Amino acid sequence: MRKDLVFGMAGSGGDGIVSAGDSLLQAAAAEGYHGVMTKSFGSQIRGGESSCRVRISTTPILNPGGNLDVAVALNWEDFLKFGAELPVSGNTVVIYEAATKILEADIPLVGVTPLQVIAVPIAEMAKATAGTERAKNTVVLGLIAGWFGIGAVAVMKGIRKKLAKKGEELVDANQRAFDAGRAFAMEHPLKVSMNVAASATKGQVKLITDGNDMCAAAAIFAGCRFFGGYPITPSTEVMQFFTDHVWKYNGAVLQAEDEIAGIGAAVGASFAGTKAMTATSGPGLSLKSEMMGLASIAELPLVIVDVQRGGPSTGLPTKTEQSDLFAAAFSAHGDVIRPVLAPTSVADTFRITIEAFNIAEYYQTPVIVLSDQEIASRKETLDPIDTTQFKIINRVVPTGTDLVDYKRFKQTDNHISPISHPGMLGGTYLASGIEHVESGAPTNSGSVHQRMNDKRTKKFDPLKERKDLFEVTGNPDAPIAILAWGSVAGVCREALEMAQAEGINVKLMVPYLLYPVAEGIYNEFFQSVQKGLIVEQTHLAQTFKLLRMHIDLPKGVQSLARSGANPFLPTDIVEALHRLLSELQRSHEGQLQPQE
Amino acid sequence: MSATCEYQAKDYKSDLKPIWCPGCGDFSVVQGIYRALAAIGRPPHEIAFVSGIGCSSRIPGYTTAYGFNSVHGRSLPIAQGIKLANPDLLVLAAGGDGDGFSIGGGHIAHLIRRNMDITYIVMDNQIYGLTKGQLSPTSQKGRTTCTSRYGSLEEPVNPLLYVLAYGAGFVAQASPTDLAGMAATIEEAIRYPGFAFVNIQSPCVTYGEEAQQIKGLKAISENLTALGHNPADRLAAMDLAQHYGEKLHLGVFYRNPEPAPTYDGLVRERQALLSKDAPPAENILDLFIKK
Repeated sequence: MRKDLVFGMAGSGGDGIVSAGDSLLQAAAAEGYHGVMTKSFGSQIRGGESSCRVRISTTPILNPGGNLDVAVALNWEDFLKFGAELPVSGNTVVIYEAATKILEADIPLVGVTPLQVIAVPIAEMAKATAGTERAKNTVVLGLIAGWFGIGAVAVMKGIRKKLAKKGEELVDANQRAFDAGRAFAMEHPLKVSMNVAASATKGQVKLITDGNDMCAAAAIFAGCRFFGGYPITPSTEVMQFFTDHVWKYNGAVLQAEDEIAGIGAAVGASFAGTKAMTATSGPGLSLKSEMMGLASIAELPLVIVDVQRGGPSTGLPTKTEQSDLFAAAFSAHGDVIRPVLAPTSVADTFRITIEAFNIAEYYQTPVIVLSDQEIASRKETLDPIDTTQFKIINRVVPTGTDLVDYKRFKQTDNHISPISHPGMLGGTYLASGIEHVESGAPTNSGSVHQRMNDKRTKKFDPLKERKDLFEVTGNPDAPIAILAWGSVAGVCREALEMAQAEGINVKLMVPYLLYPVAEGIYNEFFQSVQKGLIVEQTHLAQTFKLLRMHIDLPKGVQSLARSGANPFLPTDIVEALHRLLSELQRSHEGQLQPQE
Repeated sequence: MSATCEYQAKDYKSDLKPIWCPGCGDFSVVQGIYRALAAIGRPPHEIAFVSGIGCSSRIPGYTTAYGFNSVHGRSLPIAQGIKLANPDLLVLAAGGDGDGFSIGGGHIAHLIRRNMDITYIVMDNQIYGLTKGQLSPTSQKGRTTCTSRYGSLEEPVNPLLYVLAYGAGFVAQASPTDLAGMAATIEEAIRYPGFAFVNIQSPCVTYGEEAQQIKGLKAISENLTALGHNPADRLAAMDLAQHYGEKLHLGVFYRNPEPAPTYDGLVRERQALLSKDAPPAENILDLFIKK
């Protein structure tokens, strides 16, 4: 019995591949499995190639998985377009459409001999049972139920629910297509059985959502009541969620005329005393940068979500990358610190988004949540979250004596000044992008500028001590280390487990706080480290460079960086660790040799 | 129209000393705003006054309202966020012709479409004063400035026609040539329930041309009421607005006799409707439960 299976399916836009993935994930959740589903598309509006990966496991899932256990190709042209996103290995069962007329021995996968290759007349079965080829995806779900034991009951239950309004006839047609797929699988057993073990948590409530929806829900949970934004892939669903729900909590959304107006409205709402947010992706982040500078100098709380995609410019709008790190950390001109946080999964997007609001409110600053396309659009099954454990922080407002001769930017011990808002008697002041004295009045004095820069940067010192914004796993004294953030962190968590299982003495750091760089926390982590890997999906090794800008990394720490849309597999990381390990052993042996 | 006695113009004047050149038209504009606010009688702390960048954008600091001297061209998005966050506030936006019709020119059309209850005052002086005398979007064609040594090659924007064309519910023009009239026009604009636009011909004494100074403006000014203009007639207003630059029509060009619902009002209605029986925000994750 398998504990874990990774499915990868590809076809053209109309094939219903993503919808099949959704059904499979929901069925798996209903059967108590943990699941992660990622989608990847070409950038065509309709049609074009479309794919999804669904990983199902009896234990919690750290990432969408490496090589596919099961590959489903409705046509090869589309499947091959996804390249490294759908990697086939010698352990993969490949299922493909027989109508492609390609012989099992001739499938166009170069340099790999899959475990088993099965041509299935998927379209023909759909036509014969449901009367239309549109039921191909249901046939595929039947095949999966038959061969891998997932969703035998739950898939059709889900489909029945989804299509209930469309009539009994359509439901029956789908049932016949599903049964046909399942029967085919039963009649053609796999050479090596790949049935998944039953889940121990069957019957427990599970949540399913993606990173964008989770981010928006967390924002509303944290008290955000205003969203200003502009549609941009792959962040748009954050705004969509707000437009669906925020009114219920007496909040508002403005779909603005451009990215600048979107963040501008959010700055205005924050000035008016409301927790506010905007969301965007790379090009929009560039456009918003002036407003981010304004929010920094006016010391206004604000959360900016940047769902990273391949850049620069339009880049790869539908593929994930981590290359906005520099842009986020150094997002506008001037001497300024803007905290940058990064979630690593759908689940922790909840906590990190709340944390972003708390930091924004406490420190009176814009905070960037650096999500990425993979986290934003991947769906995860989640165990229910105990939301009572999350503390919500609100900005400190002036009271009593603060309001006598109120000074908005008053110097205080912690450099944080109580903030009033329109409507508050006694709290009137001038907010501005121009440098200002404590009252808010404009100035061009160099000494005031120096003092205010001090105030606006020193206030973040305690943030750099926040160990809870860093996850360290593995042996704390290990000589070998991995560091990764964002969606790449999940890959490295699995790599860590694999390496530990091999007996490699290694540890992993996952920073949730990327900026300001917490020098002390990193220095402590790297103290035991002789060899290490900074793993990231950026071409320029931005994380590696950002760290080196602030700390003296041990000489043996190397960069493992690649451009977006070239995903890391856990095995890639383990392979790199093997290299480090042998380098380490060699250098030890070198040290043991008597020196001439 | 209540509470008019409670506040006086001086209650809206801050202690900050304006950076404007002596004789700048903006001194009159801020006076007009003090008077209008006193007539309306909202306490200063219930007023949010937003501006962009430019000489005139310093204006919020010279009032006792909550001010926001923001970035170039972006007063209107910020004002809209404020209004949506707290519709009870009186929200004013102000700036120059470059701020409103050049760098921020894309925002006006959308605020007009949304018809939020915001009053926007543009101090139009046909020049960039803060950066010392460059061509502005309302500079007339042929104008020589330090960035148009051989004369401007482009037609000016017509702010009045622009906002009328997009359907603004209240459009007026004023000038320091008639301070009482300006104060009354600003007051009327603020009282209008919806987006209101006031273009103020405010001379730049340092970089403005002779014809744009008070004397020159007086020579071409005509009062719209005296002309017998009916402010309910939008087409007549557009007709008159075509003379922007040649004549200085003062007063209300257009006031929609049946003001359209405001965006902020509609938002309130939607909130009232949807917040009834809404599950508490603490339970928002329940939306993701799959049974």
